[in-house]
Amino acid sequence: MSLQFLQILWFILIAVIILGWAVMDGFDYGVGGLLAFIAKGDREKKITINSIGPVWDGNQVWLILGGGAIFAAFPQVYASVFSGFYLAMMLVVWLIIFRAVSFEFRSRVENESWKKRWDIVITVTGLGIGFLLGIALANVLRGVPLNKNHIDFESLFSLLNIFAIVGGLISLSMFLMHGSTYLVMKTEGKLQQRARKYGTKFAYAFIIFTVIFLLISPIFAHRLLNNSLGILGDIMPIIMIIGAVGVILAMKSNNDIKPFMMSILSIIGTVASVAVGLFPDILPSTINPKYSLTLFNSSSNELTLIVMLIATLIGLPLIVIYAAYAYKKFGLKVKLDEDSY
Amino acid sequence: MDALLLARIQFGLTAFFHFLYPPLTIGLGALLVITEGIYVYSKNEDYLKITRFFVKLFAINFVVGVATGIVLEFQFGTNWSQYSAYVGTIFGSPLAIEGLFAFFMESIFVGVMLFGWNRLSPKAHWVSTILTAFGSALSGVWIIVANSWMQTPAGYKIVNGKPIMTNFLHVVFNPYFSAEFTHTIMGAWEYGAFFMAGVASWFLMKNNKDMVMRKALKVAIIAGIFISVIQIILGDVSAKEVVKYQPTKLAMMEAQWKTQKDAPEVLFTVPNEAQQKDYFSIKVPYLLSMLATGNPYGKVMGLDGAIKYIAHKDHITNLKPSMFPVDAVYTTFHIMMYIGFYLAGIMLIALILFWKDKLYNNKFFLKVLWYSTFLPLLALEMGWCTTEIGRQPFTVYGLLETQNSVSPNVSVFEVVLSLAMFITIYLILLSFALFLFKKELKERVEGKDELNAKPKGV
Repeated sequence: MSLQFLQILWFILIAVIILGWAVMDGFDYGVGGLLAFIAKGDREKKITINSIGPVWDGNQVWLILGGGAIFAAFPQVYASVFSGFYLAMMLVVWLIIFRAVSFEFRSRVENESWKKRWDIVITVTGLGIGFLLGIALANVLRGVPLNKNHIDFESLFSLLNIFAIVGGLISLSMFLMHGSTYLVMKTEGKLQQRARKYGTKFAYAFIIFTVIFLLISPIFAHRLLNNSLGILGDIMPIIMIIGAVGVILAMKSNNDIKPFMMSILSIIGTVASVAVGLFPDILPSTINPKYSLTLFNSSSNELTLIVMLIATLIGLPLIVIYAAYAYKKFGLKVKLDEDSY
Repeated sequence: MDALLLARIQFGLTAFFHFLYPPLTIGLGALLVITEGIYVYSKNEDYLKITRFFVKLFAINFVVGVATGIVLEFQFGTNWSQYSAYVGTIFGSPLAIEGLFAFFMESIFVGVMLFGWNRLSPKAHWVSTILTAFGSALSGVWIIVANSWMQTPAGYKIVNGKPIMTNFLHVVFNPYFSAEFTHTIMGAWEYGAFFMAGVASWFLMKNNKDMVMRKALKVAIIAGIFISVIQIILGDVSAKEVVKYQPTKLAMMEAQWKTQKDAPEVLFTVPNEAQQKDYFSIKVPYLLSMLATGNPYGKVMGLDGAIKYIAHKDHITNLKPSMFPVDAVYTTFHIMMYIGFYLAGIMLIALILFWKDKLYNNKFFLKVLWYSTFLPLLALEMGWCTTEIGRQPFTVYGLLETQNSVSPNVSVFEVVLSLAMFITIYLILLSFALFLFKKELKERVEGKDELNAKPKGV
């Protein structure tokens, strides 16, 4: 295998891992973000939390795998992005820390105000992570002031530009839409009805923010105009919108699973849009295109990429088997018992 | 303070806090495999009760471990970007492989284990406990691969000023890997045994007719006696590897300033780094030469000789004795070592008392066991300090210095802010975890424990 082929393959594989994270962990954050609004009373809250209770931890590993895979395959990207976005990264980390302990801690004390406080933590962390993801990706798409040593000197506030905020709203509405469709699948009765309503609203929001983003792109990110993959760059955003329209239509039917599938389609469109929008860059420089980190100038050597490829080809099917087993054991609709959160 | 020192403090602190939790996941996980296994094969309900009670404590510990662990994977990039860019092509792969092969297994099956009691057959449930424990130990394998490579880098060549991988198996099985891994995992198991023994002793102090906790103590002691003795042997093996590959670390561990032929073991000292000698010390003649080389007159490299050795071998000539934190490494190493001997002694006494049928009534000794619950954890942390501080002034031994590893674009202000935030968050997490531990213990004593409860009627 030539190095170039491996580099392109790893660019695609990392997009796939990020897609895995957005699909699998995305509904965890979405469900979390919805908790305070969608669930009325302790029983509905319990059902909402336990819809992701046994699986959120496994889903979160996609994020860890993503971090590790970028580190191994494109070390310079990992170094430049994480240090360049320092405080934003820290913010994400702190939110993830509180999210990770929230379900367990909430369930351990039978006290109204204790539980209420953790409900707020679950909601805020879910919303925060959903929003920050889009902020980060929009800034990557726009490019950052990388100098010739690939170092990015940037403040937290320059990350909060209008373009990025619209990006953040896209990812936030995407996760909330995804979480709603997941709840439609996992719950019944009034809670499910509410999830249908919310899901439809967030799908509309997702479409609106996506259109705004596409309209303002030429102003904020010139580089998106000359996409190196041509027509693909136009198709992917259309898939985003088709998926969201699919969610709206499926929410009207009585089918519990279809909205979730449609939501996955729009997430595929979103991640693919970012990947196609970047290619062959991974982290574009706004100072000089020559300083950009591309998949060709920032990757590891051939052997590392081959070793990682073999590991991934063996590892991913195993993960699918574990996850399929776990999801099967817990059934489609949430059933509470004394071990639930 | 400069950004480098702050970044080091932050990494040390976040790693120290994280490392409070995974050893119990690994160690208690292994013991739960035993207790649940006994239940599955003997159908003795007491062992199910042991398992179900300790799983509650396991779960609290587990989530804090997960929460604090994510920080570490991000922190190489955020605070150590030069390091990440320099070694990422080698160092990144074990981290990614850990995710693929270990962390997914552990994290998916922990959900099945915690929530699947009513959905799986006893045997199938036991399998998910095994996979959780096995996955967590496997995580340890890959983390130690990454860490031991920083101690004894192998399987690479330098191209354009950067190391690139030439042999993956040499990276994985680098010289220090097997010694470091076995010593660390055994330490985690030792902590698991002492944790179960300590908690069971606490209950037996309240009520020595508690048959469930008597069995828990029995299992913990039988496992603990093997583990704590083997651990001392593995410690010796580990130190001999340090003698071979990291002479400056050994000199720091033993406070050996000068190369000697009949080196004494320094039992206690207050090292004076400024003058490169001891303020005061108690020594056993010939013992260090004996331990390190197997010969009482064997030559042991002191700090002076070790620095020359590295200068010659790795062509690094700017090293000065003042760059080596003898004080911290000597102290942490000896605390760890003495705790190790103490723990083996305690387990031996426990075994004798158990043999003579005097264990469950001996309130004093139960108290000793209870107070020893967290000592293996202290030993683990001290051993980790020895390993990592002893690696200084390098991040990758003989290859990359710490001062050339830090992120150049992260300001003092940013690190101060994040450090303050981490301290706050981690103290909150630690106090919550301890509070919930205590609560579970109290509830069981008060009979509020739900081990026999029917489903709550949700």
